[in-house]
Amino acid sequence: MRVLVGGVGYRFLRDGALGVYMSDRLSARAGNGVEVEDLGYHPVGFTQNLQDRPVYDRIVLVAAIERGREPGTVKAYRWDHALPPVKEIQERVSEAVTGTISLDNLLIVTEAFGAFPDDVRVVEVEPADESWGEGFSPVVEEKLAEIEEAVWSLTKP
Amino acid sequence: MCFKNLPIDFDAAGNASLRPGVANPYAYVETPAPTPIEEDQERMRQLVERNGSIRRVDFDPITRVAGALAFHTVVDLENREVLETASMATLFRGYEIILQGRDPRDAIFISSRACGVCGGVHATASALACEMCFGIHPPPMGVVARNLLLSVEYLYDHPIHLSLLAAPDFSEQAVRETNPEIWARAEQTRTRGRAVHGYEYMSELMTDLTPLTGKLYLEGLHYTRVAREAYVLIGGKYPHPQTVVPGGVSTTIDTSDLNEIMLRVAKYFDYGRKTVAIWNDICDFFYEVNPKYKDIGTRPANMIDPGQWDDPYAFDGTYANADAWGRRRWAPPGVTVDGELVTTSLQMLNAGVEEFVEHSFYEEWAGNGQGNENYKFPTDPAGNPLSPWHPWNKVTIPKPTGTNWKDKYSWSTAPRWDRLAMETGAYSRIWVAAQTGPQNYRESRFLHSTGNSMQIDLPKADLPNDPIEWRIPETWGAFERNRARAYCILFTAGIAYDNLLLAYDLLRKGGPDAKMSTPYKVPKDFRMGVGLWGAGRGYLTHHMTIDKGVIENYQILTPSTFTASPKDPFGNPGPYEEAVMATPLLENYEKPEDFKGIDVLRAIRSFDPCMPCTTHMHTGNGRTVSRDIVSCACGAEGNHAH
Repeated sequence: MRVLVGGVGYRFLRDGALGVYMSDRLSARAGNGVEVEDLGYHPVGFTQNLQDRPVYDRIVLVAAIERGREPGTVKAYRWDHALPPVKEIQERVSEAVTGTISLDNLLIVTEAFGAFPDDVRVVEVEPADESWGEGFSPVVEEKLAEIEEAVWSLTKP
Repeated sequence: MCFKNLPIDFDAAGNASLRPGVANPYAYVETPAPTPIEEDQERMRQLVERNGSIRRVDFDPITRVAGALAFHTVVDLENREVLETASMATLFRGYEIILQGRDPRDAIFISSRACGVCGGVHATASALACEMCFGIHPPPMGVVARNLLLSVEYLYDHPIHLSLLAAPDFSEQAVRETNPEIWARAEQTRTRGRAVHGYEYMSELMTDLTPLTGKLYLEGLHYTRVAREAYVLIGGKYPHPQTVVPGGVSTTIDTSDLNEIMLRVAKYFDYGRKTVAIWNDICDFFYEVNPKYKDIGTRPANMIDPGQWDDPYAFDGTYANADAWGRRRWAPPGVTVDGELVTTSLQMLNAGVEEFVEHSFYEEWAGNGQGNENYKFPTDPAGNPLSPWHPWNKVTIPKPTGTNWKDKYSWSTAPRWDRLAMETGAYSRIWVAAQTGPQNYRESRFLHSTGNSMQIDLPKADLPNDPIEWRIPETWGAFERNRARAYCILFTAGIAYDNLLLAYDLLRKGGPDAKMSTPYKVPKDFRMGVGLWGAGRGYLTHHMTIDKGVIENYQILTPSTFTASPKDPFGNPGPYEEAVMATPLLENYEKPEDFKGIDVLRAIRSFDPCMPCTTHMHTGNGRTVSRDIVSCACGAEGNHAH
C-alpha cells in the first residue's frame, strides 16, 4: 500500500505550524510504502505534483484548523470529497495560486482538479494560538505525541 | 539630480550629500489626512442633498488576491465617481522580528516562507544580502543558475495573474453581469489577433476567460505547471527552493538539466505571443467601446524597480559597485517619475526609500517626524545620505489599534521614494528597460531597448514570427498594466533563453567559472547588506545588519507594501488609493443595489496584489487581528479594537 502523509500549514505560526512540524517528525518514520511530505506550499502545486506521481492508495493530511472547538481538540476522519459551489472553488483556486496555505483550501482545490485518491484521511487539531513565533500552546504541546500516533495509525491498512 | 523632495544635493562628480545648512534635513510636518466623509456631517449632508446615491462600499477581502487586502470606498453612483478610498493590509507580517538573533543564512529559508508563491525571490534577496555582508559573490555559473531559477519563477507568476486573477474580470460571466451592452457588442466584434490566438469574435475569447471551465483559464493553469517543472530542476522544490545559498546555488547542473529547462522555456515563446494577442484585443476592444476605460486605475507613472537577472561577469555583490553591476542587469534598476526615468543608480534608488507609519499599526521609531538626529545609519556604506526612515534604520514595533481612516488603518507601511508614492510590477521592469535605451541597455540576443519601447525578437516556434514590440503607453492605467504584463512573458522568456545559452557555454568551457557556488565564512564583526532583486510582481529588498555572526536587524520591503500602502504623512494616497480615486464607474447599474464595483476591482487587481507576505496573524495585548475585521463603519462609530 502506498500512503502519503502530508503536513499542511505555515511555519513560525505556533499551533498553525502543527502540520509541517508533524511532517518533520514523521519523516523519520517514512519507508515501507509510506512517504511524508511538508505541504507548506500552495495546493495547485500539490495537485500538479500528485498528478505527476503514481496514484497513492491513501493520503493522510494533518493540520491545525480553527473551527470554534475547544482548543486542543483532535479529530480524525475520512474525508467525504464534498465540494462547495463553483464560485467558492474559483476563489479557493485563486487563493491557492497566490500562495494561501490551509487545509480546507487544499482539500477543495485538489478535489476540484481530480487529483485525490478515493481514500483521504484527515487529522485536524483546534489551535489555541496562531500568533507569530515558534513552539506550541500548552494545550497543543501536551497532545503532540497523541497527534503523531493518530496520524501514524492512519497509515496502516 | 534625481531628488526633488529629499534634502540631497549632488556635486559635479555626481556624489550625493545632505543639503548644507539645514538643521534637521529629513524632518517633516505631518499633513493631516482629510476627515472621512462619514465623520464630516456637513459634507455628508451636502452630498446626500445633492443626490441620494452616495454609498459606502467596502471590498473585504478583495477576492482573487491572496492574503489579506481590504479596500474601503465611498462612491457617488449618480456622478459615477469615487469620493474616498482607503487600502488596508489587514494582517501583520512578523518576519523581521523572528529573524533577529538568528544565523544570517537562516534568513534564506525563513524569508522564503513569506510567500507561498514567490519563495524563490525572497530566498534570493536574502542570499544577496548575505553575500554583501560576507564579502562574496557567486561564480558566473552560480549567477546564471540564479537567473534561470528566477526567470522561470516569473514565467509561473505572470500566467497566474493574467489568466486566473485578472482575466475573470473580463470574462463572459463578469461582462454579462456588469455591462450587458458590452457583451452584445463583443458578439459582433471581430478580433484582430485571430491569426495568433484563434478567436474570431471577442465574445468567444471572453467566454474562454471563464474561471475553471474556460480554455484560456485552464491553459494559464497548465503553464504554471510547465514553469514549475523547470523551476524544480534548479531549486529542488517549489515554491521554497532548497538550493539557494550565499555565494550561488548548492546544486549541479548538467546539459541534460539545461535541455529540460530549454524545452519548457521554449513553450513560452508561442504562449507569450498568444497572451500578448489576447490582451491587445481585450484592451483595444474596451477602449473602442468607451475610451474612458483608459482611465480605470490611472495614476502618474511613478514606478520603482531594483532590477534583476545579473550579468555573470559584472556582479560582484558589493554595495560599492552596485550602480555598475545593477546597470548590467537584463532588467536594470530604475525609478520613473511621471513616466520619465530619473535614475538607474541602485545606490540612489536605495537611498531615496523611506517607510512611514503615520497611518499604519506601528510605532514611529524616529522621533515622530522630527528625525532623531542620532539615528544609527546617517549614510549608506558608500557615504550617500540615508533618512531616519530608511529600511536600514527601521525598527519594527507593532502597535495594533482601532481602525480609523483619518488615523491608522493598515498593517502596511507607506514606503515612498523621494517622498512620492511609487507603484511596482512586472510592467515597471519592462518600462525601465525600455527607457534605458540602445546606448545603455546591455547586449542581448533577443531584447532590444529603443528608449521608448522594448523589441522582443525570440526564435520562431509554431506561430508566425511577427515582430513583437511593447511601447510605453500614453495613458497609464489598469488595462495597460495587464497588457504590459502579457509582454513580460516574452521579455522573461528572452532573458531565460539568453541565460540558457550562457549556461551551455559555461558548461562547455568548464573551469572555475562553471562552479556553482563560492565558499565563505560567516563574519563575526559588524556588517550591513541589502538584497536588491525584484519579485515577479515588482520591487523587493531585504536589508540586513549582522553583528557577532547573527542578525541584528532585518527588514523586508515587498511590492505590495509599496502598492497597497496607506496615505503618507504628506497627505498623499497610496497607489491603490490614488488609482481607484481616479477610476470612473463605467459599470451598468440601474439601482444602487446592483452596483458590483467591477471597475474598482479591475483597477486594484491590475497591480497584481499579493499579500501573503502579510498573511500571518499577530496577537498582542489580548487583541487578535483577523481577516474579517473591517466591514463596519469604523470612522463613523469611533475607534474600536479588532
